[in-house]
Amino acid sequence: MFTPRRPRRDRDNQTPRKKRTCRFCDAKEVYIDYKDEKRLQRFVTEQGKIIPKRITGTCAKHQRQLVSAIKRARHLALLPFVSDAIR
Amino acid sequence: MSTISKTYETTFIVNASLDDAQVEAVIVRVQETITKNGGTIKAVNKWGRKRLAYAINKRTNGFYVNIEFEAPGTVLAHLERAYQLDEMVLRNLTIVLDRKALAARAAALAATPVEEKPAAAASTAGGREPLFTEEPKNA
Repeated sequence: MFTPRRPRRDRDNQTPRKKRTCRFCDAKEVYIDYKDEKRLQRFVTEQGKIIPKRITGTCAKHQRQLVSAIKRARHLALLPFVSDAIR
Repeated sequence: MSTISKTYETTFIVNASLDDAQVEAVIVRVQETITKNGGTIKAVNKWGRKRLAYAINKRTNGFYVNIEFEAPGTVLAHLERAYQLDEMVLRNLTIVLDRKALAARAAALAATPVEEKPAAAASTAGGREPLFTEEPKNA
């Protein structure tokens, strides 16, 4: 039986999806440290919001660790809750 | 009485407008609350003066200190109380170091000594007195 293929939408052609992998899994990281603010900064938007894992590609396990690390860092004023520009 | 002791890590921010001797006094006070209540200090890391990501009590700078210690859980209540009473401590955070954290730490230590040792040797050779030495001075 022949089923016609769905015509590809433009969007599909424009952005070929690259397979994202969890950076922490790649680095075989077992513990995400709240003291490493430079590292954590990458997972936070300019406003200071935590970037969801669907964007960064972090796996669920590491995202949970990451979130608690970011929150700890915020408590110690290593990371902002809201960045200066927004305030 | 046997108590289970765990490894904890406490980080606190000292008012940076104090001079070094006063900051040192605060650190000693914190260390004493730990040791007096049955804890043993494993490491003291002073990160020094840093800019805060946001103002705490209208202050934009702070002196960060990180202490790693092993203690029974009862110490934490005392420590928390000491922090609350100390007006010079702006913020504090105490966490348990779980197995994963300790493993990561051990791995980091295993990876660095190659770098660290020559640096330590260089600092003593340079005539600068290290801040903390285990040996007595006139040995």
